[in-house]
Amino acid sequence: MASAKVPLDEQHITGSTGPAGRECTLPALHPDHKEERCFLPYKPPPVDSSAAHIEEFLEHAHFVSEDLEWLLSLPHDKFWCQAVFDESLQKCLDSYLRHAPRALEPPSCSSLAVAEMQRSVHRSVFMVFLRMATHKESKEHFITPAVFGEIIYNNFLFDIPKILDLCVLFGKGNSQLLHKMIENIFTQQPSYYSDLNETIPSVLQVLDTILERFGLQSEPATALEPLKLTAHSRPTAHTMPQEDLLDLVMYLCDTCTTLHSFLDIFPEACRTFQAHGFLSRLSSFYELAVPDVEKAVRKRNFDKSVQEDLWKRLAHSCKKMVEIAHLIVQHTCLQPILEGAENIQSCVEELLQHFSTFLQEKRFLTDYDEEFPVADDISLLQQAFPHLDETRTSYLLEGVDSAYESVGRKKSGAHPP
Amino acid sequence: MPPPRLTGALRSFSTVSRQDDFTQEEFDLKAKRLKRQEQFSREGLTWQKIVQFFTQHLEKKEQQAVTQELKSILQCAKQIVGVDTGQDTIESAAVFLFQTLHNKDQVGHEETQAIRQMFGPFPGSAVESCYSTVSHMVTSVGESQVEAFVRTQNGSRAWDRGAIFGRNIAFSFDGYTLDSLDPPPWLDGTDEGLDF
Repeated sequence: MASAKVPLDEQHITGSTGPAGRECTLPALHPDHKEERCFLPYKPPPVDSSAAHIEEFLEHAHFVSEDLEWLLSLPHDKFWCQAVFDESLQKCLDSYLRHAPRALEPPSCSSLAVAEMQRSVHRSVFMVFLRMATHKESKEHFITPAVFGEIIYNNFLFDIPKILDLCVLFGKGNSQLLHKMIENIFTQQPSYYSDLNETIPSVLQVLDTILERFGLQSEPATALEPLKLTAHSRPTAHTMPQEDLLDLVMYLCDTCTTLHSFLDIFPEACRTFQAHGFLSRLSSFYELAVPDVEKAVRKRNFDKSVQEDLWKRLAHSCKKMVEIAHLIVQHTCLQPILEGAENIQSCVEELLQHFSTFLQEKRFLTDYDEEFPVADDISLLQQAFPHLDETRTSYLLEGVDSAYESVGRKKSGAHPP
Repeated sequence: MPPPRLTGALRSFSTVSRQDDFTQEEFDLKAKRLKRQEQFSREGLTWQKIVQFFTQHLEKKEQQAVTQELKSILQCAKQIVGVDTGQDTIESAAVFLFQTLHNKDQVGHEETQAIRQMFGPFPGSAVESCYSTVSHMVTSVGESQVEAFVRTQNGSRAWDRGAIFGRNIAFSFDGYTLDSLDPPPWLDGTDEGLDF
């Protein structure tokens, strides 16, 4: 093992690893110190409960679990050589994040042995990511923070989709640990903020794609072209095949849950989202998609259990979208105002602007207000910033009341979408 | 096919993830088993040590019988890994069989699974025969002595010593589930416009 009290990135190891067994000195972090372990990529549990499929899964997952346990047992320097230089390990971890079943997806097979094995792999994967997000494991075992930032970024040990996967897979019960991990990653490598910034247009693109596939928004290229007389009209939530509707609602549900878990665990990202006008895009998406899809789920002729499942997923998605909006409002405006930040005036202006934008999206506004009453925030605002323009706040509060009227709801009665 | 997911789309659309430029091929179960056999042969216990142990712990008159039994284990190992494999692989397989079966009352599900995990499909008769030979050898030396010998040989492996990162970190298996919400309006009678 390499010497102590010196960061791993500055340590060297002398051994007979050179050509023809010649003695040579190499950096402690060097591909030659990696072991050929051949990690298998992860495969998800089988959909059915046939003995053969279960056996196959168990055998495969056993290898994955055993190898990850082995990896976690390695000393600090060996662990990092494996993490950085072993492509099969990176593929294994990546495949888990991509394919591991999310708790809100329909359950696959019901075998206890499968569930137990899945738990074992699940925990080990998390521990590996936790170790990779830790630049100082102990007083003796650490990496220079700046070098750590370079290592994890340049070798794609973490990237934005992986971080989002980590949040949605592990965030429910491990939010504090995950917060520390992600905070450390972003602190040591600020390029992740740039990557997040680059990713948000793709998130917005996903929302647009969902609208398009629900037949609620024209694709930009075809919108300008005249429709052929023989062309079939685009499918909508009311006309598309049931399978497609199920897929699309699942996609919406996953998108909302993933974004919510990330922003809830790492609220520092709220500002980056808002820099892309995310709130207004989200609220208008909500306004366009929710009433229409909700109507389709109510009116179309489904099997009862399918219909109920669709409804629950849609309602869950709505709740998450409202919570995402509130997280952004809270962390970009309310919190700085209450903490007496320097730019309090601009935060107040921004908050009022958000609420003014919501006024146009009446269904969204009423759902938001039921969860997070706008009047409460205005009241807080008035206490923290007594010079608030009363005409403007009255206008906003009247707008909220009028939104309830427009959608035919009573303000006091909680009524989920 | 995994269900459609946000992160799947982000991996495809955005430029912040590694595009699949891995040079190494993906490993399958067969390649993994071979690698595992290779690794096993480098760890702790070896066939030579087993031979030495039994030679040292038995009276001279019993040694001829034990030599025969050791050969029989090698023969079983050969049937399991295939007749075309080299002596090193056969010996390594014999070590694995000895280690797996030495303290068992029978060849149960766990043992069968462990052997299959290591070598893939195998003839059951070879394992049964190996088991009775190993049992006889262990009885002749004494269970506790054999157990102590195997434990000493494997003691150098870190993960057997329990020094695993994260062992003391509290971990929750909770996952995000669908928020429990009010029943759909058609179930609580508030949906008047229903027209199935």
